[in-house]
Amino acid sequence: MQPKGVEILLVEDNANDAELTLRALKQRNLANQVFLCHDGAEAMEFFADGASPVPKVVLLDLKLPKVDGLEVLRRLKNDNRTKTIPIVVLTSSREEPDIERAYALGANSYIVKPVDFDAFARAVSDVGLYWLLLNHPPQ
Amino acid sequence: MMRSIQRTFPLFVTALLLAVAIVQLTIGYGEVRQASRSVTDTRLRFVDSVLVDLFQSGQQRGRVTALAKDSDVVAFLRSGGQRGREQALAALRRITLDTASNARLELRDFSGRLLLSTGRFAFGDSVLVSPGTDSARFGPLQRRDTVLFFGVAAATIGTERSGSGERSGGIVQQVARLQLNERTRRFLTGLSGGDMAFLFGNAAGDPWTDFASIVSAPPANVRNSPRPTRYERGEAQRAIAMAVPGTPWMVATEVPTRLIVAPAQAYLLTMAPFAALIVIIGTLAAWWGSRRLTAPLVGVTQAAEAIATGDLTQRVPVGRDDELGKLARSFNTMAEQVSRSHHHLEAQVAQRTKALEGTNAELESFSYSVSHDLRAPLRAIHGFARILLEDHHAQLDPEAQRLLGVIDQNTRRMGQLIDDLLAFSRLGRTDLATGPVDMKELTQLVADEVQRTEAGRNGSLEIRIDPLPAARGDRGLLRQVMSNLLLNAAKFTRDRPSAKIEVGSQADGGQTVYYVKDNGAGFDARYADKLFGVFQRLHSTEQFDGTGVGLAIVKRIVQRHGGRVWAEGAVNQGATFYFTLPGEER
Repeated sequence: MQPKGVEILLVEDNANDAELTLRALKQRNLANQVFLCHDGAEAMEFFADGASPVPKVVLLDLKLPKVDGLEVLRRLKNDNRTKTIPIVVLTSSREEPDIERAYALGANSYIVKPVDFDAFARAVSDVGLYWLLLNHPPQ
Repeated sequence: MMRSIQRTFPLFVTALLLAVAIVQLTIGYGEVRQASRSVTDTRLRFVDSVLVDLFQSGQQRGRVTALAKDSDVVAFLRSGGQRGREQALAALRRITLDTASNARLELRDFSGRLLLSTGRFAFGDSVLVSPGTDSARFGPLQRRDTVLFFGVAAATIGTERSGSGERSGGIVQQVARLQLNERTRRFLTGLSGGDMAFLFGNAAGDPWTDFASIVSAPPANVRNSPRPTRYERGEAQRAIAMAVPGTPWMVATEVPTRLIVAPAQAYLLTMAPFAALIVIIGTLAAWWGSRRLTAPLVGVTQAAEAIATGDLTQRVPVGRDDELGKLARSFNTMAEQVSRSHHHLEAQVAQRTKALEGTNAELESFSYSVSHDLRAPLRAIHGFARILLEDHHAQLDPEAQRLLGVIDQNTRRMGQLIDDLLAFSRLGRTDLATGPVDMKELTQLVADEVQRTEAGRNGSLEIRIDPLPAARGDRGLLRQVMSNLLLNAAKFTRDRPSAKIEVGSQADGGQTVYYVKDNGAGFDARYADKLFGVFQRLHSTEQFDGTGVGLAIVKRIVQRHGGRVWAEGAVNQGATFYFTLPGEER
């Protein structure tokens, strides 16, 4: 079952990170319409049938079981129906090749998750605020 | 220019042959000239002595002596020319039938008065020579205008002195004129073979004649020398002069030295072309020989140069059976071995490179895992500890809250350590983007940044930057070096009321030594080598924060640029960090 108005699609295999992310979004009242996928395959399923609501932003981890984050990114950006959805890569990796590949595939943003919880919470809520409230997607 | 046997050897041979030819020609010339001179000298002596004999003129002397003994002549002279004039004249005519213009016979008394004479020749109106008593005496050659003549005189024999002391009798004198004409001269010269000239004159000096005209006397050294002597008369002459015995005369024979050296010159003219021919043939032979000798060497050299530039397929043709052929064979064997070991080496390098690439890939994936997998649990620990503190603050007693604070602190530190370690490991793998770097401008940028970071510190912080020469390197990495060193200096001067950091440079050979000097806490010089190790710290975390990676990063970056790092310092007396970088090429 999928909720009607999905605004944020969070793709994150680490339950702890997912909980911390949701908590950070919740503190800004952005957590109501978040849909969580635990791996890349689930994320692809979410978009598989055209009936699913289009999220305002996808928060995508790179290191995922089954289908990894970069592959998800590539498929979404190559699909006409989904290529306009903003995708924010939210990952622990600070490695240059990842950053370059993500942008090359069309990522809209690349955020390294800080270890420091305060910094982490700030980064997540800023991303949420920006893409949900400030950004104007094409209609 | 390169020294080349092919050029040097023929040159050497040519020079040698030239030297030999010149020495040979010089010696030959000298010897021929010497021989010619010696032959000439013998001829001069011989011819001159023949001439001397000719001029002894025994006949003339005999005639005059005979006249002085003639009874009619003696009677005429004793009578003082008073009696027997006809008989005396007949006696004179008996002896000298010819009354030609060249000779004249005179009868004079002792005072020199002319009593009787025959012949038309009329020079010398006096006694020309003191008369001989036993035989006639020759007088010296005399000159009047263009005429040369001499006297031959004898006194009558059996002269008796009269009571008054006056001598009776008189003098018989013949005055002879020397016939000077070109014919005589040429005749005499012809007798000698045509190359010699003859001179006749007084041993005492002028006048002299060459039998055609009157000439000046040869110089005294010629007249006095018993050997042929050289002198100038018109041209250089070699001459010998001999006295005519019984007369005051001298006969000289001379030959131009030009004629003496002529055979030597002829020798030169004949031999020089031969010598030149020998030199030319020798040169050509040497040139041909050296080419033949060096051509195979040139082949080997060219092949060696080709191999040196990387063309390992080059070989030398082996067309000979001598040492050069052996050299070519050895060279080819060597080239074969070089080629083989080169291929072997290339294969090895390729293999190692592949292995290294594998290791590098492993290292990369390891770093990736560390980056990703170590940070996630750490973030969870930190995150949930914070949630505990924030959401369950009320249920926690102060000790629990303190312990959670410790967890918070250590997870932050762990995160920092992981970040630094990853940064350090990345340094070894990324390529350098090398270019010219304005070190002064870069340092100023970093210094401004450090001043902003340190805005909250207690004391003052002064960063002085001397003019710095440009460097060649990766600007981003060099900026990190400067940043780490300045931040370090700022950190260790934090407890100083007026901190001073100085950035400067000094030249050291082709490199530039840059240094960052501070007046901070310094360090124990005994541990200076530990400063640049990863996670090595000389101060406790309580004293100065940091993970101990900053200087290790500095060292790695400088080393990757081909430079060195070192530090000097003492506890509480500040520290100076040095690093060298290659200069910017111009």
